[in-house]
Amino acid sequence: MKLISKYFYPLFLIVLITACSSDAGLDKDDEKPTIGINHNGGFPQACEILQKGETYTFKAQVTDNQALASYSLNIHHNFDHHTHDDQGAQCDLEAVKQAVNPMIFMENYDIANGGTTYEINIELTIPKDIDSGNYHCSYSVTDETGWQSRTSVDIKIVE
Amino acid sequence: MFYKILGAWLYFSLCSLAVAQESFEVKGSVINAGTLEPIEGVNIIGKGLFAISSANGEFTIRNVAEGIHSFTISHLGHSSKTVTVKVGPEMEEVKVLLVESATNLEEVAVYGKTTSRKAQELPTASHQVYKDFLEENRENSLMQTLKKIPGVSTITIGSGQSKPIIRGLGFNRVAVVQNGIKHEAQQWGSDHGLEIDQYGIENMQIIKGPASLLYGSDAIAGVVDIQPSAIPKPNSFVGDLNLLGESNNNLLGLSTGIVSRKDKWFYRARLTFRDYGDYKVPTDRINYENYIFELHHNHLRNTAGEEANAAFSVGYVADHIKSETFFSNVYAKNGFFANAHGLEVRNSNIDYDRSSRDIDLPHHVVNHFKVTNTTTIAKGKHSLQFDIGFQNNYREEHSEPVPHGHMPKPEESKERQFNKNTYSINIRDAFNPDQRNDIVIGMNAELQQNTIGGWGFLIPGYHRFTLGIFAYDQIELNPNLHLQAGVRYDYGLLDTKSHYDWFRTPVDNPDGTTSQVFLQRAQDKTLAFGNFSASTGLSFIQNNTTFKINLGKSFRMPLANELASDGVNYHMYRFERGNLDLDAEESYQMDIDIDHTTERFSIGISPFINLFDNFIYLNPTSNYYEALQIYEYTQSKVFRTGGEIRASTRLFKNLQLDASGEFVYSRQTSGAKKGFTLPFSPPLSGFFSARYQFNKLLFFDAPQLIADYRITAAQKEIVPPEEKTEGYRVMHLSFMGKIPMFKENIPVGIRLKINNVFNTEYFDHTSFYRLIDVPEAGRNISLSITVPF
Repeated sequence: MKLISKYFYPLFLIVLITACSSDAGLDKDDEKPTIGINHNGGFPQACEILQKGETYTFKAQVTDNQALASYSLNIHHNFDHHTHDDQGAQCDLEAVKQAVNPMIFMENYDIANGGTTYEINIELTIPKDIDSGNYHCSYSVTDETGWQSRTSVDIKIVE
Repeated sequence: MFYKILGAWLYFSLCSLAVAQESFEVKGSVINAGTLEPIEGVNIIGKGLFAISSANGEFTIRNVAEGIHSFTISHLGHSSKTVTVKVGPEMEEVKVLLVESATNLEEVAVYGKTTSRKAQELPTASHQVYKDFLEENRENSLMQTLKKIPGVSTITIGSGQSKPIIRGLGFNRVAVVQNGIKHEAQQWGSDHGLEIDQYGIENMQIIKGPASLLYGSDAIAGVVDIQPSAIPKPNSFVGDLNLLGESNNNLLGLSTGIVSRKDKWFYRARLTFRDYGDYKVPTDRINYENYIFELHHNHLRNTAGEEANAAFSVGYVADHIKSETFFSNVYAKNGFFANAHGLEVRNSNIDYDRSSRDIDLPHHVVNHFKVTNTTTIAKGKHSLQFDIGFQNNYREEHSEPVPHGHMPKPEESKERQFNKNTYSINIRDAFNPDQRNDIVIGMNAELQQNTIGGWGFLIPGYHRFTLGIFAYDQIELNPNLHLQAGVRYDYGLLDTKSHYDWFRTPVDNPDGTTSQVFLQRAQDKTLAFGNFSASTGLSFIQNNTTFKINLGKSFRMPLANELASDGVNYHMYRFERGNLDLDAEESYQMDIDIDHTTERFSIGISPFINLFDNFIYLNPTSNYYEALQIYEYTQSKVFRTGGEIRASTRLFKNLQLDASGEFVYSRQTSGAKKGFTLPFSPPLSGFFSARYQFNKLLFFDAPQLIADYRITAAQKEIVPPEEKTEGYRVMHLSFMGKIPMFKENIPVGIRLKINNVFNTEYFDHTSFYRLIDVPEAGRNISLSITVPF
């Protein structure tokens, strides 16, 4: 008995202390939003060929368990083959080349009223004076908690 | 006083071995005349000769010339005795009987304290690590070696680098101190480890808990204190050569060191080389989000590395003075996983798989040069200690240049360069005004100059000056009850340097036009910080049980990047924004430590409660900048609790069982991530170890077989952008033995170790590559041979 009180009293005390620290984060958001272009109308698709001067509507579907916050679209060249997309497709890449005047598109948007589903709709005209070749197009989305999801797709811009 | 220090120093240097260069050996033993028990720690002093008796009362004096010698045998608590010995061939063992003396009892109380007794009396929870532990558990990097200690975990970067986490906090919240001087590298970074040679370290102290009182800013969560090695015995020469081979990353390692002392001068030197290839993981493909990386023969491509370290020290010890100057240089080149650097997925034309040993891009090169001096002067009741140091930490990070955002493709591969010079000076005076008080007053001053280079930007250049003064007193209320209390004041000045992009970014003007500007990424600012820290604690020893309680307030000055950065981190796909309004972090902690140790078993528990008023945290927001998620440095209140339990028993004579568990609970109780934990929270983990000591096996002396088993629970407590990590069980086996190959008294040490015996695929929540779903290293068979000379 003496042994029990000797060892277990402090142990008990510790358990009590830790137990008292109530869990303030029971309903915290542990889920990332989702993002994809595999829904009906998702654009661009893997290996899509875009023409200079044309206007396209970039579409992606995003969802979140609680509240969506913002999204972004980034289009940059992949003339040096430094990256690849996450769509699983293997696109034909042009030979490696130096960039002269590549298209750089980086825009951020807010999703005004949060919500749990949203379709990204970005109307974009491909400028005429840019380098043609392999490009990389990446979408990302955040929720109100600060979780982020990204997806990217390889495209080609031609004359 | 000086003799006490010297005596204590020598007393604790028992583990070092002296080698006969010529002539004879005097062997003998000292026993208590009354009880006939052996007496440990007896000084045996002759002319130019010295020895201390071991636990079984035995001593050996080597290097004795033929002839008649007289030795004074003294031990406090016993009457001294002088014996005369005729040294020559076939001499007999000397037997000395000492009579207990009743006088000088107070002296005994002070002098006779062992390190473990001193640690018991100290109210802070600390863990002492000795050379044996380091040798038995040696892993690829220092912090991986220390992972066995409950409450200590690591952030590992590949197979050769790691940095400490103490009870869930790491980076700049753990101070690493070597020979009294704080080790200053790029602690804030996530992809490089401690630049310290783990060979040649004899003693370390791990403080789990706030220790700003003694160590200043950064010691807010704990301290890894690498203490100076013991001063060698007079007229000794010891050396060792260690060879290491590993199967997982094909590592070849060599470390050799010597320690020598004439009379008053002594020196040590060590060289270490390590070269290793890509390490292997128990999978042939990595699934990271939607990406799939196929691995060639399970090799995590481009994680090879090399390391070359050199250290030299020269010391002088005489009456009332002890001084040692250390020079060291640590060089390392390490590759990073080629398919994803940080979160960024990369394609390359480099044929990484042509060799598993080459280091291609991305990689870094680190060089840490250090020169420090520690001098102790004893004068009357005072013992003055001066530590002076200069360190240069140089790091270059190279990666294949690619365009990012508005940045065109850079010309060269040097993405980042850090060059940090640190000048330190510590002065402390320890004195005993009476038998009850141990008072220490001191100051630390440090000047840091950090300059940056390369085409990437993460942390601005800065100058930082800190000055701290402290005083504490350890009071013996009665022989078993000790009180320690101290205060400290720190003043810090941080001067950040402005930084502009080297390329132009289009910026929209209010009049509708667009300008091409070099954007400013860091501001020129001078910020001052002042802070009081304090600590008080009690230690109570009752027979075999030690109770400790400690209350402390610690602090940490914000870092230059936390305050002044405003730049993109493409490897992490984020934009990091500093905050010039950040306050110094303040933390309050209560630690309890209860330990019960008897001959048969030992049990201990060390819980803690910790409150941060303003924990600095890189908060992922839901906003974007140039299509990158904005992360902002913010401060939030944090509540943390947890602790460690440990138990060990000698089940029967040859079998020792150890078990320990560690747990940390963290909650942000205010701010944007209220309710969330902190990043890199280690999961609940248990560690079990069984050690069987054979009497004799084949040609091995003292062979031991050790089985270690770690059970780690899943970590479901995460904060963006972390991933939940499943639990795991992993087993390691090792066999150690000594072979009396060349000389009877200095056997060759052999260690065969199998890490991850079952080649289990598991994830470590605090590993750098966890973010991209890379499992921990697979089975590794290592063979280490230590040849003393």
